[in-house]
Amino acid sequence: MALTLMKGSEAIAEAAIRAGARFFFGYPITPQTEIPEYMAARMPEIGGCFLQAESEVAAINMVYGAAGTGARVVTSSSSPGVSLKQEGISYCAGAQVPCLIINVMRGGPGLGNIQASQGDYFQAVKGGGNGDYHLLTYAPASVQEAIDIMMFAFDKAEQYRIPVLFLADGIIAQMMEPVELPEMVDYKVDPEKKPWACTGWKAGDDPKKRGVINSIYIDTESLTVHNNELQACYKEVVENEQMWEEFNCEGAEYIITAFGTVARIAKSAITQLKEKGINVGLVRPITVWPFPYDAVKKVVDQPSVKAVLDVELNEGQMLQDVKLAVNGTKEVDFFGHCGSLMPSTDEIVNKILSMKEGK
Amino acid sequence: MKRVKVLIGNYGSGKSELALNFAMQAAARGDRTELIDLDMVNTYFRLTERGKMVEQKEIRLVSPNFACSGIETLSLPAEVASAFVMDWDTVIFDVGGDDVGSTALGRYHTDFMELEEGALEVLNVVNIRRPLSSTVEKIQRLQEGMQAHSRLKITGMINNSNLATMTGPDDLWDGYEVLKEVSKITGIPVAYTTGKQEFLDAFMARNPDMEYVGTLVPIDMYMHRDWDSYIAHGLNTVDPRKEIY
Repeated sequence: MALTLMKGSEAIAEAAIRAGARFFFGYPITPQTEIPEYMAARMPEIGGCFLQAESEVAAINMVYGAAGTGARVVTSSSSPGVSLKQEGISYCAGAQVPCLIINVMRGGPGLGNIQASQGDYFQAVKGGGNGDYHLLTYAPASVQEAIDIMMFAFDKAEQYRIPVLFLADGIIAQMMEPVELPEMVDYKVDPEKKPWACTGWKAGDDPKKRGVINSIYIDTESLTVHNNELQACYKEVVENEQMWEEFNCEGAEYIITAFGTVARIAKSAITQLKEKGINVGLVRPITVWPFPYDAVKKVVDQPSVKAVLDVELNEGQMLQDVKLAVNGTKEVDFFGHCGSLMPSTDEIVNKILSMKEGK
Repeated sequence: MKRVKVLIGNYGSGKSELALNFAMQAAARGDRTELIDLDMVNTYFRLTERGKMVEQKEIRLVSPNFACSGIETLSLPAEVASAFVMDWDTVIFDVGGDDVGSTALGRYHTDFMELEEGALEVLNVVNIRRPLSSTVEKIQRLQEGMQAHSRLKITGMINNSNLATMTGPDDLWDGYEVLKEVSKITGIPVAYTTGKQEFLDAFMARNPDMEYVGTLVPIDMYMHRDWDSYIAHGLNTVDPRKEIY
């Protein structure tokens, strides 16, 4: 198929539609407003529903309701808007409603700014809303990768009955890249495959087939059973769904860890360092939950590796998971910016050089 | 005579890159040059980010108020008036995408009307590799919208078809074929064909009908980011799990 030049937001929206999404509920916020803008134009063309909600809180609750019917439903927002959605996200997780939430991260805390950031890592992988839950969280590093992940994100969400979070930084949504779009998936709700879905029940039907979407389990025993089920599910996700990329890791002297756009800048730095005769590798988690602890550990455990450098567009959030993975066996250093100032290739190169000089 | 180029077009058609190139080329010729960033829509990847480079070439840059400082609503600066009242050789307007972006021009409607005859070029920058300007019909619809919003008549089209870092020899040619049709229907000429020199050479080697080529303008990449070369590769794999690369 021919390549086309698409903005990340447009590509993410089109890919969601091609993956079967027929409902979009959202509220505009920079830097992702192009997603609802695109959905507003595109959904009516394919018989879908675009609805601009009165708030992010309303939007996520519309997602909760619509996804409860088994439909493929998506919402998008940026950091402050995703904070508003946290209650609804926790409800979706508790009620095991598969759905897709896109967070195009901008600078924080609070209203912060509108430039790119990775400051919502903790919110994405360490909680966000209340209760013991996780979101299967993907952090794409290119527009094409965002499309590719989108094409199976709903399958994963449905397989585990878990909300999926797309954790992209502002750059991914705003940059344009040549991409190849996959064919449209012909998705229809199959009540046999989704017995939990509320697809219509009338008096006289088998009461056991009645779909109930709910996150309240008022007595301690039933909530314990429910939570044990959720935890068993998360364990399976951890076992089966970790994704990461390794770049130039074999025999590397230093290992950089980074996710999203920052990992691409790190690759440029690694290429420059190679020209200076310094061998540096990169481990880029693609799923940040589940975090690929073993993969990071395996690479870092190579005898050639002297130390690890974590680079992020925040003050060091994924750093904690990297340290858990490395478990004190090697030094873990950090370089990052907050305030949305992208780390530059030169800065990463200089940081590695200074580590080499023992500074 | 003062020459004014107004660049409008679909989001991502390459307006900012071309505006920078036109300005740098004018300044290199010795023109007194003003470059106006009138993009009120997109706060990312805008030419104001190249402000220092532009000012080193003694090009005067006018940016929207608060551009790049993270305020969501931009406002038009009073300095835009300098384009009309001051004595420049070349003025270039880089306008926001689509009809929405070109709305910002409507405010200066009477100023544009008062320019000397032949001084004003309103140029629709077209990249047929963008999904919303990929066909004759889509380009026509967009042109009509932009003309209505800007209150200006498009005087020419620019074939700037490209795939960013993955541009190949076919992109300009396919753009030429599409714009030839648009030009026949609308009567709007193709005023320029733009691209890196290597792609212009490959394009010209195929002997296009010069009536639909216009002036060839080789361009440099100023908006490039050094990590662009890692546009990767999506996940092309059957089992999208573990060690996929």
